[in-house]
Amino acid sequence: MIEILVKSVVQLILLLVVAPLVTGIIRTMKARLQTRRGPDIVQPYRDIFKLLRKGMVIPNTASWIFSATPYIVFGTAALVGLMIPMTATDAPLSLFGGVLAVVYLLALGRFFLALGGLDTGSSFGGLGSSREMTISAIAEPAMMLAIFTVALSANSTNLSEMARSAVRQSWMFLAPSQILAFSGLFIVLIAETGRIPVDNPATHLELTMIHEAMLLEYSGPYLALIEWGASIKQLVLMTLLVNTFFPFGLSSSWTIRGLGLGLAFYLLKLLLLAGCIVLVETTNAKLRLFRVPELLAVAFILGALALISTFLF
Amino acid sequence: MSFAHDPQFGDRMITLMAALVLVLQIAMVGQRWLITNIRLFGLQSFLLAAIAGTIAFFNHSNHIYIAAALTLVLKTVVLPILLERIVARIGIQQEIEPLINVPLSVLISGGLTLVGYIVAESFYHPEETSAPAALGHNTLAIAISLFLIGFFMMLNRRKALTQVLGLLSMENGLFLAAISLTYGMPLVVEIGIFFDVLVAAMVLGILVYRIGETFDSTDVSKLRRLRG
Repeated sequence: MIEILVKSVVQLILLLVVAPLVTGIIRTMKARLQTRRGPDIVQPYRDIFKLLRKGMVIPNTASWIFSATPYIVFGTAALVGLMIPMTATDAPLSLFGGVLAVVYLLALGRFFLALGGLDTGSSFGGLGSSREMTISAIAEPAMMLAIFTVALSANSTNLSEMARSAVRQSWMFLAPSQILAFSGLFIVLIAETGRIPVDNPATHLELTMIHEAMLLEYSGPYLALIEWGASIKQLVLMTLLVNTFFPFGLSSSWTIRGLGLGLAFYLLKLLLLAGCIVLVETTNAKLRLFRVPELLAVAFILGALALISTFLF
Repeated sequence: MSFAHDPQFGDRMITLMAALVLVLQIAMVGQRWLITNIRLFGLQSFLLAAIAGTIAFFNHSNHIYIAAALTLVLKTVVLPILLERIVARIGIQQEIEPLINVPLSVLISGGLTLVGYIVAESFYHPEETSAPAALGHNTLAIAISLFLIGFFMMLNRRKALTQVLGLLSMENGLFLAAISLTYGMPLVVEIGIFFDVLVAAMVLGILVYRIGETFDSTDVSKLRRLRG
């Protein structure tokens, strides 16, 4: 019991600290690639702490959903973060069906975010919510198919078990279905974190924004919680990608030395993935909203092919 | 590097790269921009060259290295440059207007991949063959899918240039099938095929340019009138 508690606390601290850092690194790398100076890497921390100290404005039309949403978004993201292996193969918690719970806890957070956008009755919030739900309705099946592919080859939906079996098999784990699933999940990652071909995280232009449109009415500590939750969610999805498909360097036990080594490998892998995301963001233009389903259809087909090809071999 | 000489590792790597080739082919179906399509084709050819190189390494057959080098030079460098120059010269619209919309054509490509796997399954008899055919099992399925999807691309696209790309990716499928099943045909045959493709692409390139000049468009559905 105490062991679980210690593990959870360590991973929670890691999660809270690394998540804004990854956001900052992506922003800085993107700026440098576009020959801008860009904000400092620690800027997201400064933003969060500043927002936490500010007062906030709550619209008169808002109900309790508006106030509950930031806590639910943050809480689900942090809970999911405790259920995935970050530096060691054993995650601190494994609740209700492992990876299925991960997907649907994230969906719960998204559901409340969409409700929060609708709650104030502003037209932008409704617009953002409807777009977010449209995209996630197509992204979610693609994500499930890709994840089931990995779960099938590990014979378990438990994430710790999946990571362990991947580490055990070393390079034998690499199969064509894994490549297909990885490509599909990468597109889902881009869509879910609101990155450029799908959504632009740096814009407040009413015609194009999706994620930001839902947050327009939020301010102060609530906004800080939602932003922090969003960056944790991004970190969780990235971790899922790097640790289930490239499990190299995951330590098999919770010792100080193993954790240090695991952390170094983990940060290196995250940096590589962030580089890929930055490249995609810089070399692509934002898609028109009606073209987004085309992109996600590709992700869906890749996931479906991945799943089918695990049965065929 | 203990696993570098393990044939099973080579097998894995080849299958992985073949899967990436398939991913690129599906991306080509889902992509509307001509230039991106040409670059995807170049990348696909690069992976093919890598597959050929890996097969040559694990089977110690030197003449496949030549095939790999030819693929690398011709299909990864020369052909994409040639095609991009045509794109620049006819100032073509970047958009491709497929007959069937993109999500559906991606779905159809998925279905064609399934067909490829089912067809390849009937060639697979692990109990009576030695190593080469076992390797062919996975790769052959992908090669057949490449061929079918390339064919579908030719049917689905209206612009002459994308039809050329469809033809070229079909040829990539043939190359993959040949090299993974036979571990390399005689060098004369390989060189013959390469020059065939190169000449075909050049002739088609000139044809596309002429069509563009004469009709102000490379839409093949506008070619209705015969001239004597």
